Amino acid sequence: MDHLMKITDLNVVFHIFGADVHAVRGIDLELNKGETLAIVGESGSGKSVTSKSIMGLIPNPPGEITSGEILFEGKDLVQYSQKQMQKIRGKDISMIFQDPMTALNPTMKIGKQIMEGLIKHQGLSKHDAKERAIELLQLVGIPNPEKRVDEYPHQFSGGMRQRVVIAIALACNPKILIADEPTTALDVTIQAQILDLMRDLQEKTGTAIILITHDLGVVANLAKRVAVMYGGKIVETGTLDEIFYNPKHPYTWGLLSSMPKLHAKTDKLLAIPGTPPDLSHPPKGCPFAARCPYAMKVCIDHMPEYTELSKTQKAACWLLDERAPKVDPPSTIGVGGEA
Amino acid sequence: MGRYILKRIGYMIVTFYVVVTLTFLSMKMLPGTPFKFANRLSPEQLNQLKHYYGLDQPVPVQYLQYMWNFIHGDLGGSFQYGMQPVTEFLMQRFPVSMQLGIESMIFGTILGILLGIISGIYRGRFLDWGMVTLTVVFISIPSFIFAAILQYFFSVQIRIFPVIGWSGPMTHVLPVISIGVGVMASIARFMRTEMVEVLNQDYIVTAQAKGLSTSAVIYKHAIRNAMIPIVTVIGPMTAAVVTGSLVIENIFAIPGIGSQFIDAIVTNDYPMIMGTTELYAALFIVTIFIVDILYGVIDPRIRVSGGKPS
Repeated sequence: MDHLMKITDLNVVFHIFGADVHAVRGIDLELNKGETLAIVGESGSGKSVTSKSIMGLIPNPPGEITSGEILFEGKDLVQYSQKQMQKIRGKDISMIFQDPMTALNPTMKIGKQIMEGLIKHQGLSKHDAKERAIELLQLVGIPNPEKRVDEYPHQFSGGMRQRVVIAIALACNPKILIADEPTTALDVTIQAQILDLMRDLQEKTGTAIILITHDLGVVANLAKRVAVMYGGKIVETGTLDEIFYNPKHPYTWGLLSSMPKLHAKTDKLLAIPGTPPDLSHPPKGCPFAARCPYAMKVCIDHMPEYTELSKTQKAACWLLDERAPKVDPPSTIGVGGEA
Repeated sequence: MGRYILKRIGYMIVTFYVVVTLTFLSMKMLPGTPFKFANRLSPEQLNQLKHYYGLDQPVPVQYLQYMWNFIHGDLGGSFQYGMQPVTEFLMQRFPVSMQLGIESMIFGTILGILLGIISGIYRGRFLDWGMVTLTVVFISIPSFIFAAILQYFFSVQIRIFPVIGWSGPMTHVLPVISIGVGVMASIARFMRTEMVEVLNQDYIVTAQAKGLSTSAVIYKHAIRNAMIPIVTVIGPMTAAVVTGSLVIENIFAIPGIGSQFIDAIVTNDYPMIMGTTELYAALFIVTIFIVDILYGVIDPRIRVSGGKPS
């Protein structure tokens, strides 16, 4: 099957203060038409850098894609110039940002901010673009769009602004929508509304979504496939069910255990001890080895290969090697009634 | 908006009234008299003079008299010029200072904003580095030194512009540049900082993510937002330049209000000092008012909260 997007061995390095920070270290990802792929991981795992690489928005300097390819409909975006990328951005691939309070230009009417992309990519006249902007506002559930199209961002609440940001992203019917922590900055009730809206819009438009998040609740709500990132690498991928009910990588176990549970007996929050590796000196072996309760000698010095667990699931962990001792996942994972 | 403007005008009147009163009172506290040879005059002669200028009245009476005249547009007569009305001097001299100030501001602001934008876009590169160095130099050199250097090169060495005077465009060039470079340097630095900050904002990334070209991102999204704080500094700076050009006026023998003001202070010419101070104050108050209105035009957030119907 032809993938809509295929990332192969992507490496991104930031040259900062004389050190080379290896933010993304050889990741492979595929995205199919109309599907939702979640990239999960904690801060600094490289998930945002991956999404910025796809958009061609890695600031250079200091950032640099040192190797790998990002094939979009068969064409390698890594080789594209900024000029060529400008034709892709907003048209074929667009993005929703984390903080709707700062993602909109405070001195420009929101209608105009939506129209910009339409005028640029679809060559619409101002009048037509405005009509379309009103339609889009309606689509993302903003009441009274004819009036609100002429208002400024400060006249909207946080949730409403995120809807505007989504309208901007969807303006030109992109094939891929990258949502970078789309609900992190919102109230919990608003989060649910925004997630509903995104799922709704995906059904209507058939856009593929790459969802970047550290919130497994959001993942459960929206994603079909999950890639778990750690230390600039993808440590496990699988379908939503596989990741939630049959996780194989100790880091995935840790992530699932640290999800707060409503019906838990204790009020203690479980955390993964330690901190992520310093990516200016990336570890030779498995990046999680230093924090992994099951780490063996081999983990320190040798990066494990992926083990195919099913057609859709694979994980990079020495525990999956046939010579390794058998380890059961901790009981704290318990995914209760979510999804 | 109308209500907001009315309210502001009310505040302006109150502010101005306070300034006039304080100026009047401080005149009363100045040591010495306006009379050149006061120590040689007999007490009778002194009293006669004081009576002539109305200085023998109790202070509250003088104050009411002054305010009464003030409301009727009479700022009194200049002591040093045989009671010729102060307003006449101000009307004659002020436009020259105003013109010099405004020309300098236009020169400095336009160049400063341009330099700041360029510097901000190319931050950290050689161009930016050169620009920052240049602005530090221009801010540090006092305008009168710069004026003397300009005079030496452009009037003495390669006689393009006249050394002094204020008659026709050619005479304006050197004084305007002398004052303007300082303005340019301050505004360039300010604008650069704002540009760097705005270019790091999330909405710039949003604009890029829409696929806009780099120039569209800068013109449509960055510059307008970076300009907002600049407007606030331009107002007070204009007032400061108009009222602070007296050294340059002296160097280029420009018949502005600055030299007049100094003379008035030296000779205790009370009405002249008060008149000039009041004019400066009025200028300052009006400029700040205009800036606030402009601020609302550029920044929609202010416009709405100011004009919210209550």
